[in-house]
Order: sequence, then structure tokens, then C-alpha cells
Amino acid sequence: MRPLRYLLDRVGPHFEKGGRLEKLYPVYEVIDTFFYTPGDVTPDPCHVRDAIDFKRMMSAVLVALVPCVVMAMYNTGLQANTAMVSMGIAEVPGWRGAVLGWTGVGYDPGSVLADLIHGALYFIPIYVVCMVVGILWEMLFASVRGHTINEGFFVTGLLFPLTLPATIPLWQVAVGISFGVVLGKEVFGGTGRNFLNPALTARAFLFFAYPAQISGNAVWTAVDGFSGATPLGAVATGGMKAVTGQLSWFEAFLGTMQGSMGETSALACLLGAVMLLVFGVASWRIMVSMVLGALALAGLLYGLGSLTNPMFEMPPHWHLVLGGFAFGLVFMATDPVTAAMTDLGQWIYGLLIGMIVILVRVVNPAFPEGTMLAILFGNTFAPLIDYYVVAANIRRRALRHA
Amino acid sequence: MPEETIAKTISVAAGVCVVCSIFVSTAAVCLKPIQATNKTLDMRKNILIAAGIISEGQKANVDELFKRVNAEVIDLATGEPVEGLRPEDFDPRKAARDPKQSIAIPPDEDLAGIKRRSKYRIVYFIKDGERIKRVILPVYGKGLWSTMYGLVALGADMDTIESFGFYEHGETPGLGGEVDNPRWKAQWVGKKAFDKNWKPKIRVIKGTVVSDSPDAAYEVDGLSGATLTARGVMNLVQFWLGDEGYGPFLARLRAGADHG
Amino acid sequence: MGRAREALCDPIFKNNPIAVGVLGICSALAVTTKLETTVTMCLAVLFVITFSNLSVSLIRNHIPSSIRMIVQMTIIASLVILVDQFLKAYAYEISKQLSVFVGLIITNCIIMGRAEAFAMKNGVALSVLDGIGNAIGYSLVLLAVGIVRELFGSGRLLGYELLPLTTNGGWYPANGLLLLSPSAFFLIGLFIWALRTWKPEQVERDH
Repeated sequence: MRPLRYLLDRVGPHFEKGGRLEKLYPVYEVIDTFFYTPGDVTPDPCHVRDAIDFKRMMSAVLVALVPCVVMAMYNTGLQANTAMVSMGIAEVPGWRGAVLGWTGVGYDPGSVLADLIHGALYFIPIYVVCMVVGILWEMLFASVRGHTINEGFFVTGLLFPLTLPATIPLWQVAVGISFGVVLGKEVFGGTGRNFLNPALTARAFLFFAYPAQISGNAVWTAVDGFSGATPLGAVATGGMKAVTGQLSWFEAFLGTMQGSMGETSALACLLGAVMLLVFGVASWRIMVSMVLGALALAGLLYGLGSLTNPMFEMPPHWHLVLGGFAFGLVFMATDPVTAAMTDLGQWIYGLLIGMIVILVRVVNPAFPEGTMLAILFGNTFAPLIDYYVVAANIRRRALRHA
Repeated sequence: MPEETIAKTISVAAGVCVVCSIFVSTAAVCLKPIQATNKTLDMRKNILIAAGIISEGQKANVDELFKRVNAEVIDLATGEPVEGLRPEDFDPRKAARDPKQSIAIPPDEDLAGIKRRSKYRIVYFIKDGERIKRVILPVYGKGLWSTMYGLVALGADMDTIESFGFYEHGETPGLGGEVDNPRWKAQWVGKKAFDKNWKPKIRVIKGTVVSDSPDAAYEVDGLSGATLTARGVMNLVQFWLGDEGYGPFLARLRAGADHG
Repeated sequence: MGRAREALCDPIFKNNPIAVGVLGICSALAVTTKLETTVTMCLAVLFVITFSNLSVSLIRNHIPSSIRMIVQMTIIASLVILVDQFLKAYAYEISKQLSVFVGLIITNCIIMGRAEAFAMKNGVALSVLDGIGNAIGYSLVLLAVGIVRELFGSGRLLGYELLPLTTNGGWYPANGLLLLSPSAFFLIGLFIWALRTWKPEQVERDH
């Protein structure tokens, strides 16, 4: 690591105020502080220092996302290879076929390595496009506004691809992340001031702008001409038996089913949740209350039943492992910037999101999945919830001391 | 500021009201006939489009062309024309809301989701001499968000769909709103509506129709991203072509055609 | 002449009713999916606001202040009904598409706002100019939004296909979001952003 530090220190002055590359200071700063803890100290005598600053917090989330990323690649490859076997397709056309042929891993759905590599060939291009476009925007705004680049984007840039289907056109990834970064975050003043989760804003944009490429039956498995509904979509049209015939609860928990790349595996999300809680980055209150809210409403609707709407048949514990619930719960709803801050507020916020997820899934005829919409809805309400929690607290204390 | 007395306030208020009402009522009275013509003209244009006489967006003398269309009020239960009720005097939408002129549809047969239907409906014919060339049936039913109003045109065999389209709906633009897409509407043309027992068989399927499938003649591609609107379309067509809808009427025409 | 020019030109950029006052947003969301309906709406608003300012200004010295709002409302409502009747008679297709939104011009805050804030205090000529200016300011934003929404949402402008859509065998995938009302919020937001970058004095002070 020494030579790196030496290099950074040597080029440093060019980026400082008055240097030749002053405009690019944010770029220098982001690289420097990504590798090393900043050397600046508070000049005033009294200050508290915590080892976990903003950058370490973001790194913690990135680490917690690793299981999801691995599962995303594995499952994307698995779904593609399985579909190819059932359709009798021997190899993939285009550059992916060339790369796969060169590695020689083949297309056996039973081989973990073959699945991983096949899936990676879908995940990595999306990730790269997302990062390149997103960082360009971040740099643009950082340079114009004269602030430093925020590592917040590294998290957004990984979350967003995980919420997309493998077949999403790359130009849509670029348009989506641009919308998410600019209108979801930068217009409000950048990381820390945004009230909506930028990754979800980006996804919502694509969802409403180009619904054909992010919903329906043809997009979930990366094989041309393959058509199959996500489990939630299948239940919405065919009832619970349409899913239980092919998929056990445990398989759904593992995540070997169709869906957006990173969202299928509740197990991977659970591992991520444990890490986030151990690192102390995410709020357990939000996680617990969101699960409770979802279970309560799903249980109620399941108990009520319906003659016309097959979604009512879905038992509450299935709701937790299907669709984006687990992923949204662990990585989106707990985003510290956009979630409620107060303890009581977090309980309300989580319950609200959990219930809206179920409400959209079960009662709304147009959308089989509701996690994204529910969390964005929760985001918009978070400041209001906090405001009233704080106001109630002030009133109570004022009364006590009156 | 003027001095405020009750008398002054009332007189100003009255004055404003009188002047405004004169303007409004003059406009309403003078423009009423033109508006009424517009309304019938619009409906007639839609019918002519369904009849294949004019194409969409084409400028034409609608009133002149409409003389080629015969309209008739029929009783849905028997399929017979209703004597003494002229189509001009009958408003099907009003009738469907009037408890005296409509009947409740049993929930398990209410595919179109309309709850009540009027006893009578207007149908339109295009005749070639005495022979019926085309019959145009107004249909409606629930889509995802809205009630969709459309026209189905059947050919002389009372089976082949000659044209199909909606003239009023409130579905999501770009998704369910694609029911308006000319390419989708064109899919319906030439499809067979009934099976050999004259039960409605036409279906909107998911995905694309496989052309060599035995049922291809009865199937229409689904609308991607709008499963529920497409299902609504299928249900309303099946409802109106079935026994609760125009079934008896079509049966009568077929019988007539056989004998004649 | 200075005041006349101010009355006419200020509402266009300096004091735009939508971008600065954030008024009249409802109709801006509802009618801008197509340029044709947008233009009709702009003309309707131009007519209503000009004549409401004219009439209110004419009788401003006779309106008792206790009923001034209701008098303005009556005048505006009558004008709106006139427009609605007229459209139904001579532009039936468009009036069908605009449906209730012509009637809702009554609730367009710009019109009531100008009647109350300007026409009640100024002479007839100035009030008319103010009405025209505000209508232009309103139309400017609406037309911009309408052009973007129709062009990128359905690949057309005034019904002429400019970007052939993939659903019709072309190359342009339509942006469905632009056909939904919330997109007008984003577009108006971007418009305000651009305008305030150009004219920083419009940025509100922190409270």
C-alpha cells in the first residue's frame, strides 16, 4: 500500500486550491479517502470521534450486498441454463456465447460455475453501465457545486442493477440511473438531502416509462423467446396452486426462481441483514416492524379470503420470500437517509411499508409486486412521521414540566 | 372602494347574475343544435368505421354515407326487433341505468362487469339488397380502470369478425390504452367468434398466437403489460356475443339466413 | 408605456404564474399529453383570463368588497361555460379529449388570482394586457411540457409521427411515464430549475 500513499501524496497538491487540476479535486478526494482514513482533525478542543464514518458505513453495505450479488449471478445463470435445456437450445448467440465457449464451462444448469459465469455475463455489463453513467453525473455535479463526491453512489450503483431483470436493455440502465441520480438525489442537494431512495427512484422511472422491459412474462429469464411469470405474477392470475406445483417455500427462500436479479434470494438478503445489524448500520426496528406489518395484513387478507381475487390465497409466510420484499426490507427500507430517524418513527415507518406492500400486491389489480412502490411511499412519509413523533415528544415533556 | 350598503350589494349581485346568465343561456341555446349534431355525427362516424365504409381519420360526408346503414332497436331476450321504438329515440346508456328498462345480470354470468343491462339495444346493419352483409354490435364492459365502449362488426356468416375497436375508454396510455392500437385492432379481423355450437369462442391469449395451432382462428395476441385490460376485452366480447347479450339476436339472423 | 410593457411581459419569465407562482398546475398535468389539447387549453385560458380581467376591471369600482370573490367567480364561471359550449359545438373531438378539464378552468388559480390581485386595482387596458401576459406565461410552460410529452411519450407532434414507435415497427421505444400525469410534475420542476438558474433572484429565501 505504501507506493499508493506516496503517489497520492505526490499528485495531491495539483488538486488542492490553486493547483492546475483544482476542478477535479472531488475525483482525487474520493480515491484518497476510499483507501485511507482522512488525516483532517477537528481543530477545536472538544470533539467525539467514531471509527465508523460515512465512508465505512457505505463499505459495510457493500460487503453486506455480496451474498445477494453472488446469488444474482448464480440464479440468473441457473434460470437461463434451465430454460435453455427445456427449450433445447445448445448455446447462446452473440458475445456471451463466445465468452462462454472460450471458458469452456458449458451450459449445464447443475454446474454452479457454469451458472455463475453465465449470470455474470448479464450482471456485469449492467453494473458497469450503471457505475460509469452514475459516476459521470456525480462528478459533474460535484465539480459544478464544488463539493466532494459521495460514496453513497457506490451503494446506489450496486443496488440499482440488483433490482433489474437480467434482460434489461443497457441504454435503459443508463437512462434509469441518470434519472435516479439527478432527479432522485442531486436536485435536492446530493447525498443526505434526498428524501427518496435514488436506486428505487431509478427503478420506478423505468417501471413506468418502459414497462414492457421490466414487467410481464418475457423479461425474467435471459433466453430469447422464453416466457414465464414471476411467482407473484403467477399467483395473481392462476392462484396459489400455480406456484406450489413448481416451487416449494424453501426453494423460494433460497431464491432459485424467476425475478429481478438480486431480489429472488431471501437467504442472501437474510445474510446481508445479519451483517448490517452486526455492523450497526441498519435499523432493526424498521426490519422487524416491516415484517410485522406485512404479516399482519397478509394474515388478515388470507383469513378473509376472496372468490374473485386469487392473491388472497397466498399465505403470509410466502409473501416474505417472494418478489422484492426481502431485498427491499434489508437494503432499501433501512437506507438511513430516506428512512425515519426517530425510534418510534421507525416502527411506524416499517409498519406502513410492510402493510402497503401487501395492499398493493393483493388488492391492486394492476401491479403484482408492491415493494418498490411501498418503500417510495414510506420514504415520502418519513419526514412527516418524524415531525409528528418529535412534536408529540415535545408536547409531552412540556406538559410534564408545566 | 364603493360605499357598502345592502341595497347596493344586492343590486350589483343581481346585475352580474343577469348579465352572466344572458350570455350563458344565449350560448347554450344557440349552440345546442350544433352540439347535438356533433354527438350523433361522432357516433355515426364510429359506426361507419366499424362498417368498413370509411377508414379512421378520413374526411367524409358522414350523413350521406350513413344512409347505407340500417339501425334497429332489438329486444335482447328474444332477438326480435322492438316495434314502434325508433333508434333515434332510444338511449341505451340511459336505459341501462333505468331499473324499468334494464335487468340485473346474475354475478356469475356478468363477464363484462356491468351489473345491469338494458333490455333493448340498438344494432346496425349494412345490407346488400335484402341480404345482410355486416352487422355492427355496440359492446361495452369493464377494463382495468374504466368502462370501455366499442363496436364489433360480424360478417354475413354471423361468425367472422370484420372489425373491432373501442371508441371510448380510460385505460392506461401505452399499456391498456393499446386497445386503440391499429395493429392490435387489425388482429381481430378475420377471426372466428364462435365454435360449432355457436358459443363464443374468441379469446385473447397471453403472448402471441401460434399460427399453426388448431385454435389460431379463434385467438388474438395479448397486450404485453396489460393482461387485465386484455382479459376485460375478451370477457366483454364473450359476454355480448353470448346468450345474455346478442346471442338470441344472432341466432335469429342465422336462422333467417338459412331459410332465405 | 412602461407599465403597459410590465403588465404584458413580466408574467412571461420574470413573474411566470406557473414557474414562480406555482399556480395552475392541475390543468398543466391533465391536458399536456398531446400538443393539440394543450394548444386548445392555452387558447381557452387566454380567452377566459383576458375577458375576466376585462370585466372585473370594468366594474371594479362598483363591486362591494364583501361579495367581490363571488362576483369574480360568477364572471369566470360564465366565461368558462361559454368556452365549453363553443368547443362542444365547433371542436367536438378536442372537447371530448379535454372532457372535464375545460370546466375546471374555473378552478385555475391563475385566473382568479389575476382578477383579485390585478384587475381589482388597475384600469381596463392594463388589466387586459396583464391577462394576456399571464396567459402567455402559462401557455409557454404548458406548450413546453406538451411538446416533450407528446414527442417522447408517443413519438408524435400534433398527431404527425416523428419518431416511429417500436410498437408500430419503428425504432423509438415510447416513454410511457410521459403519458402519465406525474411526468408533468418532473417537467415543470425541470423548467423551474432552468429558469431559476438563469434568474437566481427567483429562488426563495430560506424560512
